[in-house]
Amino acid sequence: MTIGIALGAILPQQVSWYILGPILGAVTIGFFRVMNQPLGASGAYVHTKNLVLRTGHKTTWRVWYFVGLAMGGFIVTQFLQDSQGFRKGFDAFRNAAPLWLVIPTIFFGGILIGYGAKLGGGCTSGHGICGTAQRSKSSIAATITFMTSAVVTTGLVRLISGGKL
Amino acid sequence: MKDPKRNLIGLVFGAMFGGVLAAGSLHEYDTIHNMLRLDKFYVFGFMGSAIAIATLGLGILESRNTKTSLGGIISLQRSDINASHIRGGVIFGSGWAIAGTCPAPVLVMLSSGAMLSLVVIAGIFVGLAIADSKGSSTFGDGEHRITEDESLVV
Repeated sequence: MTIGIALGAILPQQVSWYILGPILGAVTIGFFRVMNQPLGASGAYVHTKNLVLRTGHKTTWRVWYFVGLAMGGFIVTQFLQDSQGFRKGFDAFRNAAPLWLVIPTIFFGGILIGYGAKLGGGCTSGHGICGTAQRSKSSIAATITFMTSAVVTTGLVRLISGGKL
Repeated sequence: MKDPKRNLIGLVFGAMFGGVLAAGSLHEYDTIHNMLRLDKFYVFGFMGSAIAIATLGLGILESRNTKTSLGGIISLQRSDINASHIRGGVIFGSGWAIAGTCPAPVLVMLSSGAMLSLVVIAGIFVGLAIADSKGSSTFGDGEHRITEDESLVV
């Protein structure tokens, strides 16, 4: 079932990295040029959570940024690519494990993502792209750390799954 | 609501960021998992080239003391490393590997129609709330300015 009215697949399912990476770099520069601010996604979660719960520090444009991420994804996946419609996702994981195991595992993964991003001060977009591009020592250290941790954890997941993942 | 211009800019830049992630299929578990298994170079090339271009561009803006449209003279932030960057990085990295996604791509995963993304999004909010309740209140150089304009905070 398709969600959007497909205009036909203008874009392939995966555009080359050497086109998209530089565009993302330019978006990052553009945002600094306009707002003098980095574009971290986990910060946007915090501001969105604070807005919903009516507590703490919130900056409304970061909530709009949160909405924009989903909106941009919607436009590209539903209108510019061959729409995949409603589905479960996590294909490789679901091929290797039953759904009752996948759901709690990815929920736990989400908790680690949220907790780690808040404790470490950022995520892949915040530290990995915006912080590293500012040549921030703390962001470079955090990025090297989470990259290493993720590769090691993936190795463990592969081991535990008996090579299925 | 208070500042429609900044809100619109946030929405548009969010849409560009999300659109680029979608065009690269970075919202798919399989893309991230294949990268972290070191099977595919794609995401390393994507992140590496984004960082290279952004580093160059921000360096030029900084060297020229560029006046930004809405935020005054450009000021890049370079905090020193402390233990929480490393501890948080280890925890974040393991979650990234287990869920095969991270905070920005998972929102694109949702709008692409993959409903299990909601499980991860819920988990992220829970994790943030747990960290909040333990008094972890600061954010790093990539998330927001320590000196974020207080007039924008509501």
